[in-house]
Amino acid sequence: MNIRKLRMFFLAAELSNSLPEPLSTSTSFNSDPDSQMSDVDLPPSLPISLSSNPNLEEARLEAQELPKYLLAKSYFDCREYDRCAAVFIPSILPRGPLTPTSPNAKTRTPTKAAKGKAKESSPNTKTDSIPLSNALPRLSQKSLFLSMYAKYMSGEKRKNEDSESILGPADGGGTVNKELVGLARSLEGWFADRAAKGLERGNQGWLEYLYGIVLAKGKTEEDAKTWLIRSVHLCPFNWGAWLELNELLNRFEELQSIVRELPQNLMTLVFHLYASQELYQSTETTHNQLNDLERIFPESQFLKTQRALLFYHSKDFDEAESIFSALLHADPHRIDALDHYSNILYVMSARPKLAFLAQVANATDKFRPETCCVVGNYYSLKSEHEKAVMYFRRALTLDRDFLQAWTLMGHEYVEMKNTHAAIESYRRAVDVNRKDYRAWYGLGQTYEVLEMHLYALFYYQRAASLRPYDPKMWHAVASCYDKVDRPIQSIKAYKRALVAGTYYDQGSSFGSGATNGEPPQGVLDPEMLYQIALVHEKLEQQDEAASYMEMTLAQEEGPGEDDDDEIRRPGTGVTNITSKARMWLARWEFARGGLARAMELANELCQDGVEVEEAKALIRDLRARMESPRSPSR
Amino acid sequence: MSRYLTPSKIGLLALISLYSDSVVPSAATIPILSFLVSHVLPISSVASQDKSSLQSRHVTLAVEDFQKATISHVSGIPGRTIWDLLLNKLWKLNSFDALHDFFDTLSLLLQKPPEQQQQDAEDVIESNPNHIRLSRASPMGSFVRRAQLEFTRLQFHDGVTLWRNFVAYRAPTLPQWKKRNQSANHNSFDANLQDEHLDLGDRLTDVVYGELAHGVQHDASVSAEDLETLLEYQIDQMQRMGNRLPQAMKAKFRAMLDTGVTVPNLSHYVTFLDAWRSGDYPSSFDNLHRYFDYTMQNRDRTFYQYALLNLAILHADFGCHSEALTAMQETISTARENNDMGCLNYSLSWLYHFGKAHPEEMDDVQKRGVLGTEKETLAFLKAKAKEASMWGLLSTSLLSEAKLGLSNGDSVAQAFESIVRSSHLNVTKDVANAIGSQMSMQSSIFGRLGVSCQAWLSGELFLQCYTDQSPVEDVVHCVCRSALLLAQRGRYEDALARMEEVDEETLRTLRHSQYWTSNLGLIKLRRHLHRDNLVAAEAVLAQLQAPPSLGQDLHFSILTLEIDLNVRRGDYSKAMEILENLASKLTDGEADIFQRIKVMTLKARIYDKAGIPQKGFSVALRAASLAHGARLFPALWEAVGAVCGVLISLKEFSAAAKLLESIMPHTLECEDCNLSAQTFSLLADAHMGMAGQAKAETLPRKEQLTRALDNIGRSFDEFSRLEDVKGQCEMMAKKATIMHLNGDPVLANDCAAKYLDIKRAAKDQI
Repeated sequence: MNIRKLRMFFLAAELSNSLPEPLSTSTSFNSDPDSQMSDVDLPPSLPISLSSNPNLEEARLEAQELPKYLLAKSYFDCREYDRCAAVFIPSILPRGPLTPTSPNAKTRTPTKAAKGKAKESSPNTKTDSIPLSNALPRLSQKSLFLSMYAKYMSGEKRKNEDSESILGPADGGGTVNKELVGLARSLEGWFADRAAKGLERGNQGWLEYLYGIVLAKGKTEEDAKTWLIRSVHLCPFNWGAWLELNELLNRFEELQSIVRELPQNLMTLVFHLYASQELYQSTETTHNQLNDLERIFPESQFLKTQRALLFYHSKDFDEAESIFSALLHADPHRIDALDHYSNILYVMSARPKLAFLAQVANATDKFRPETCCVVGNYYSLKSEHEKAVMYFRRALTLDRDFLQAWTLMGHEYVEMKNTHAAIESYRRAVDVNRKDYRAWYGLGQTYEVLEMHLYALFYYQRAASLRPYDPKMWHAVASCYDKVDRPIQSIKAYKRALVAGTYYDQGSSFGSGATNGEPPQGVLDPEMLYQIALVHEKLEQQDEAASYMEMTLAQEEGPGEDDDDEIRRPGTGVTNITSKARMWLARWEFARGGLARAMELANELCQDGVEVEEAKALIRDLRARMESPRSPSR
Repeated sequence: MSRYLTPSKIGLLALISLYSDSVVPSAATIPILSFLVSHVLPISSVASQDKSSLQSRHVTLAVEDFQKATISHVSGIPGRTIWDLLLNKLWKLNSFDALHDFFDTLSLLLQKPPEQQQQDAEDVIESNPNHIRLSRASPMGSFVRRAQLEFTRLQFHDGVTLWRNFVAYRAPTLPQWKKRNQSANHNSFDANLQDEHLDLGDRLTDVVYGELAHGVQHDASVSAEDLETLLEYQIDQMQRMGNRLPQAMKAKFRAMLDTGVTVPNLSHYVTFLDAWRSGDYPSSFDNLHRYFDYTMQNRDRTFYQYALLNLAILHADFGCHSEALTAMQETISTARENNDMGCLNYSLSWLYHFGKAHPEEMDDVQKRGVLGTEKETLAFLKAKAKEASMWGLLSTSLLSEAKLGLSNGDSVAQAFESIVRSSHLNVTKDVANAIGSQMSMQSSIFGRLGVSCQAWLSGELFLQCYTDQSPVEDVVHCVCRSALLLAQRGRYEDALARMEEVDEETLRTLRHSQYWTSNLGLIKLRRHLHRDNLVAAEAVLAQLQAPPSLGQDLHFSILTLEIDLNVRRGDYSKAMEILENLASKLTDGEADIFQRIKVMTLKARIYDKAGIPQKGFSVALRAASLAHGARLFPALWEAVGAVCGVLISLKEFSAAAKLLESIMPHTLECEDCNLSAQTFSLLADAHMGMAGQAKAETLPRKEQLTRALDNIGRSFDEFSRLEDVKGQCEMMAKKATIMHLNGDPVLANDCAAKYLDIKRAAKDQI
């Protein structure tokens, strides 16, 4: 809605607030905790029925605060966060970056500066021995949450403003939300206070949620998890809390470990599904979970999107595409997750469709990060990288935490050979979400371009750990090992890649582009085999190498040679790699005297028309050799 | 609104690519190429002087235009016309992505840059010999390059808008495309819709092509560039022709501008011109300043002097002469500073003309010496114009020279020489808009020489041949002039009809309408005076005197008519007073010699009317000699008439009669009814006097009487042509007297009755 129209609301709210206050309300904001019982008997200025809160005490408070609450809410809607916060919490909370250590620990051994600030804000803190006290005025949780959340938002806003332009000098990712310290301290105090008074049962979950966010931002992840889990127990329908919780999970094991602590309800199921999807667990169990949920919500677009994303992660692009397409038809104005759809179309090289998708998204809202990503992807597919970067930057200006855009922008910078910018973009993507294997992989690639293989190895390993069944990751790891002269590990990694390749059967990872002809189903990647052979050669294990070379050659024919089924899958046919392998084998045979076999291979090479010159030279040599032993016999 | 690209440009590009595919057979090459070129070339290079070509050119091309241009030509592919191929090409753009591809492949139409050519030669890449490649610098090549560049510049959503407009633009050709391609249906404009089997009513289609499906069409087929061209054309028209935007056009412009977010700066200038012409002083100022505020620093050039120039002209037009002068002087100095010769020469010439029109304002300028004497100025202007090859300016300078010579009473031959030189320039250098002033100059010089038919002819010639391409101002002047000539001959109805010929659209300009109304007023005033309808005459006169800034000529005519009015009333002293005022003004400045003679003659005539004709003798004689010197024949005959009046009063009848008879043919040549009537009446008087001198009842007397009667009759005829009641009555009275003298009371009675009839009829008419 128009901000100006919203302002009219807060004008109304302000007017209602400027009415002379009834006596009773003045006491209710008394911060003295002792007086809290005294006003219980006083009649509330507004009827309790105005609030729907089942908790009587809370309801009474809410009813009392209603005008102020409305005012604050109007400010919040107008994005005047500071003003909103000041309605309920007039004093300034201490600012400053939150250290990764727990605020708990900090208050126990406070630094001088923090102490000074703490004293400013909480006059009740008499000594260090009683660090936890509630500095907040006595308010209903609703109002408290609103004002604290407004504070948090204002901090976020300021953080964004300080960062200035995307990838500009001030945009180092180092700017932090300066409100976090104050919020953490106040919330901690509030919770301690509640606990001391034994009122914990009356908690509504919202403040826990906020505390969880604050802790997560301060990198106190375990505590954050606890608080968020507490929050979802109290208020299971706060999807925001679930999302925050999801962001804290780095591995599937972590998810499994917290599952037991979660409440047993529908939301948990949804969360479990979502988290599994985000962790790339496109397994049977996940699909089953999804099926169960879809039985309850057959038309849910969210669930369908999750299904499509699962297919996307398992590289089943056609399936994912058809789901997304159906979604788009059902609700053309829905822009959510269209960026993923565009990625799928990108990989499928469906340019007209991608253009059409961009058109659709653009028609609904051209200033949504998702829309910008779709357009960016389109331009990227057209190899107009400058324009693509422009649109990704636009997406990031709209939302700095839009992970997709950071990664994609990194890809574009790689294409434009701007490695520094690429690295920075990937780094930011990783900072936003550590589960994004494409960003890790991209980082690895970029460092490989810069010939810093050891460095690249680390990133590839991260990527591989996120996608253990993606041959591409392992291939990258292996080649890095090879480059840094650790052939044993390299061979292991290659073998892993081979295994993963058979596991997934098909497809390629995003960003590789489906251009370099992937081998058809059921075929071991000759490239890998060839590489393994080369590494073995390096290790001077000629026989091993030769056997791998033979395997490489075998891929021309395809598997199932032994079974005489009619469903023999096609092999790769003659490719560059197999020809190279053949050449190697021919030479090798030549060297160890298997001249007939060498001759045969060389002739095959000539027939295939690859590296003919070399093959002919070899044949000449072979003839010479074949003849020379004969001549003495004559 | 896109900056440059429009659906019709996509159509042109498609046609160009068809052409370069060599499917256009040689018979069709020239028509297709000329169609292309006439739309591809920037408008300024298409002979901007030639208005007809501009009119035939549409700013936007409809699909139908493409059809018309191509459907009659067979293509190189059997059974297909070029239109079919073009349709195919257009409908193959079946998605936004296809449009992108289309623009990407445009570079294949162009010749490769030299480096690449060299590389190709090294790599032995053969180019398809059937493929015509456009040179990069050729008009079509640069059009293609520009289109491609502009497409690259487009943001995504602008591209989408272009695509949607294109879909809408192409939609009317669907039936024809269906004929050729059976599989086509109503959603084949986007392959994506077809692939998904979406219908027009589908929600997704609705999101993307909503406006299209619902038939909402906004006229967005105009790009900002097209609009600018239109505005430039409009300004050009307004400046050259001096008329206003027609209302319908104005509404259309508004609608076009409303579709775009950015308003072109030029539109402010158009508003300014329009407001100026309509006489809306405040808003024209407002818009002038707005325009120049936006464009003061454009393309590294300063336009300050032009802003000042416009300001000065504006001031002058609204009668703020001193302000106009200061502004113009600043213009001149700024133009000098910036070395802008065009502007400088133009402003100097303007200043000169302004000085001619308003000599009283020029003292300051004369003192500062910006301009020397008139002759020097003209010589300077001529030299400068020649230097900068500003032929229009040179032509007008020559005309000014001719005019100066005439009004100083210099040699007529010299004036003719100037006119001919100017005419030569106009023809050889194609200075279309100076022809008007040249023709009217010619007409006035013939008028001064008393060759009315020539004067009339020049005017007619101009109206017949040059109306379309001359400033409206010239046309209005010419029409008024010829109407006045008609009125002079007594053909009032024709004159009024001629006045009505002026386009209504023209009269929406304040200045033109003022000029036109004044002239109309003059004609009516004359008619009223002749009809002796003095009350009406006075009313008209009052109206005529109201508007402040009229030309000096008009002012003079009004004053003479005022004098005439007073004379007819018999208020000679008042008439004399006005006359003296006028005369003193005329002697101050360097007034036109014609006016000075006219004033003198008038003075003599007033003396005559007042009954003291001898007092006017010297004045009349001086007028006659002056007019003779300057070859101002109509004025000369009038002056001679005045002299004869004096002679008659001195009873020198035979001399008067001789003189009058000798000028009579020339007088008739002037086709001025008033003059001939007066002269005939004087001749009759002279004969009458001679009859008086002869013995009664003798032959000579009879003869003289008959001659007198004869002349009276002619004079009466002339007067009746003019509808001059007083003159007719006077003649009738004279006739009756003569009849009476002849002893023919019946006829005398008849005449007397006729006299009364005329008087009554005149009364009735009032």
